[in-house]
Amino acid sequence: MRWGMAIELKRCIGCYECVLACKAEHFLPPDIFWNRVLIGESGKYPTVTKLIYNVRCNQCADPACVKVCPTGATQQREDGIVWVDEDKCVGCRYCMIACPYQMRSMYEDGNSQYFPGQELTEHEKVGKELYPHQPGVVQKCVFCKERIDSGIAAGLTPGVDREATPACVISCPTKAIHFGDLDDPNSEINRVIKEKHGHPFHPEFGTDPSIYYID
Amino acid sequence: MIQIKPYDFMVKYQQQKDWIGGRGNFIAFAFFLGGISGGLYMAAAYFDSLLGMFVAWLLSLLMGVSYMAHLSHPFRSWRMFMKPGTSWIARGFIFIMLFIGLTTIQLILSQWVPEATAAITTLKVLAGIFAFAQSIYTGFAVSYVSAIKVWNSAIVPILFVTCGLSGGLAILLAITMGGDHAQLVALENVIRVVLIAFAIIIGVYLWNTTYSSTAAKEAVKRLVGGSLAPLFWIGVFLFGIAIPIVMSVTTYFVGVGSSGLLITAVVSEIIGGLALRFAILKAGMYTPLLPVD
Ligand code: SF4
Ligand code: SF4
Repeated sequence: MRWGMAIELKRCIGCYECVLACKAEHFLPPDIFWNRVLIGESGKYPTVTKLIYNVRCNQCADPACVKVCPTGATQQREDGIVWVDEDKCVGCRYCMIACPYQMRSMYEDGNSQYFPGQELTEHEKVGKELYPHQPGVVQKCVFCKERIDSGIAAGLTPGVDREATPACVISCPTKAIHFGDLDDPNSEINRVIKEKHGHPFHPEFGTDPSIYYID
Repeated sequence: MIQIKPYDFMVKYQQQKDWIGGRGNFIAFAFFLGGISGGLYMAAAYFDSLLGMFVAWLLSLLMGVSYMAHLSHPFRSWRMFMKPGTSWIARGFIFIMLFIGLTTIQLILSQWVPEATAAITTLKVLAGIFAFAQSIYTGFAVSYVSAIKVWNSAIVPILFVTCGLSGGLAILLAITMGGDHAQLVALENVIRVVLIAFAIIIGVYLWNTTYSSTAAKEAVKRLVGGSLAPLFWIGVFLFGIAIPIVMSVTTYFVGVGSSGLLITAVVSEIIGGLALRFAILKAGMYTPLLPVD
C-alpha cells in the first residue's frame, strides 16, 4: 500500500480552500503551512500562462528528509507516509535543508497566536488540547494520517469515504485532488494518473514523489 | 539576504535560512571549529606539540557547545547517535565524541605517563583519524544536500578540510612562536603550501560549480558579485588567502617572520576560515518549483 495524490491543475482555481482546511484540521499555528498554493507566470505578453500549483509534502518513496535525520525522528510508515515523531526531534533542521521541495516548517514560538495581545480564539484553545504542537520541532503534511488510520479502523476506504480522506482533498470545491492507493492497480487514483498522464513534480530531484500532477 | 515574501515562496530562487541566521549561526561556528580543531590536532600530532593537541581538544569541546546551541532541544542530543547509517550529522556527532574521548586519554597519558609511548602513539594515530573525520564530515554534511546545488559538490569536503588545516596550522604557529627555530621554519613551509592549495581549491570549486546548474550559477554570482561579495572578497579572499599568502611570502624572503607579521597572518587566517563557512552556507539556494523567466 502506498498512499498518493493526483492533482488536476486545470481544475484548481487557486481558492486556497485546501490550505485553510489543513490549517483548521491540524490547528496549525500562525506562519505554519503544511500545504501551499504557488502562483506564478510563464511566458511573455501576449502569451502568458498563469501557473497554479497546490503543493505539500510529496510523501516521497525515497525521501531525502528521512535519510538525513540523525535521530530517526523523521520516519516513513509502511504505507509510505513520512512523519515526524515530535518527541525524538532535536531541532537540528537538517531535514528542512535537505527537502528539495521545502515542505517542512519549524514551529519556533510555542506562544504564537493569531491575534497577539488578545485572548486565544476558541479554535486555538481547542487546538491546544486536541492537537498540541511541540515548539522547537519540525512539522509537515502527514496526509492526515489520523483520518486515514481511524477511517481504516472503522472499515472505511481512504480516498472514497470522506471521513477517511485527507482534509484538503475533501474540501476542494472543484474536486481537483484525488487520493488513493498507488499500489492498487484498480484504484481510482491510478486510473486518473494513467488516463490523464499524471507526472510527479520535479522528478529530477530524485525522491520519487507520491503526488502526481495532471496538466 | 534575499527577502522572500510569502507569495514568492519557491517561485523565485530562495536562500536557505535554516543553517544561517539566529540559532542557525551556531552551525556555521560548529563547522568552523570542527575544521580548525581537526586541522590543529593533525598538525600538532605531526609536530609533536602537546599544547597544540590540548588546544585542538578545547576547540572540539567548543564545537560541541556550538552544536548544542544550534539545537532547539539539546537535552535530546543523545538521540543524534541513532542513524549513522544514512545521516552525516549522526556520523559527525560520533566522530566528535570519539575524537574528544581518545584525545582526552592521550593528553592524560602524554602529560602524566610519558613513558607509555606505544599507547600514546596508538592513541595519537586513532585520534588523528577522527580529527580528520571531524574536519571532513562538516563538508560531507553540506555536500550531501542535493537540493542545494552550490553545496552539492565533491570539492566542498576537500575545501573544508584544507581550510581547517590552514587554520589549524596558523594556530600551531602562534602556539610554537618563540620556540624551536627549525620547527617554525618547517611549519611556515607547510603553511605556504596549504595556503596556495586552499586558494586553488576555492578557484576550482567556484569555476566548477558555476557550470553545474542554473541555481548553482545564481549562488556563485551572489558570492562573487552580489549581496555576498563583501563577505567573500573581504572575508574569504582578503583575510583567508591574500593576507596570509603575502605574510608567508614575506617571511620566506626575510627569513622567519617577526611576531607581528605572524600574529597578523594567524588572526587573518582564522577570520578567513570563519568567513568561508558563513559564505558557503549563506550561498545555499533552492531551485524554484515554478519556472523562472
Ligand atoms: S517532500 Fe520533502 S519532506 Fe516530504 S517526503 Fe519528500 S523530501 Fe521529505
Ligand atoms: S530537525 Fe528533527 S526531524 Fe529534522 S533532521 Fe533534525 S531531528 Fe530529524
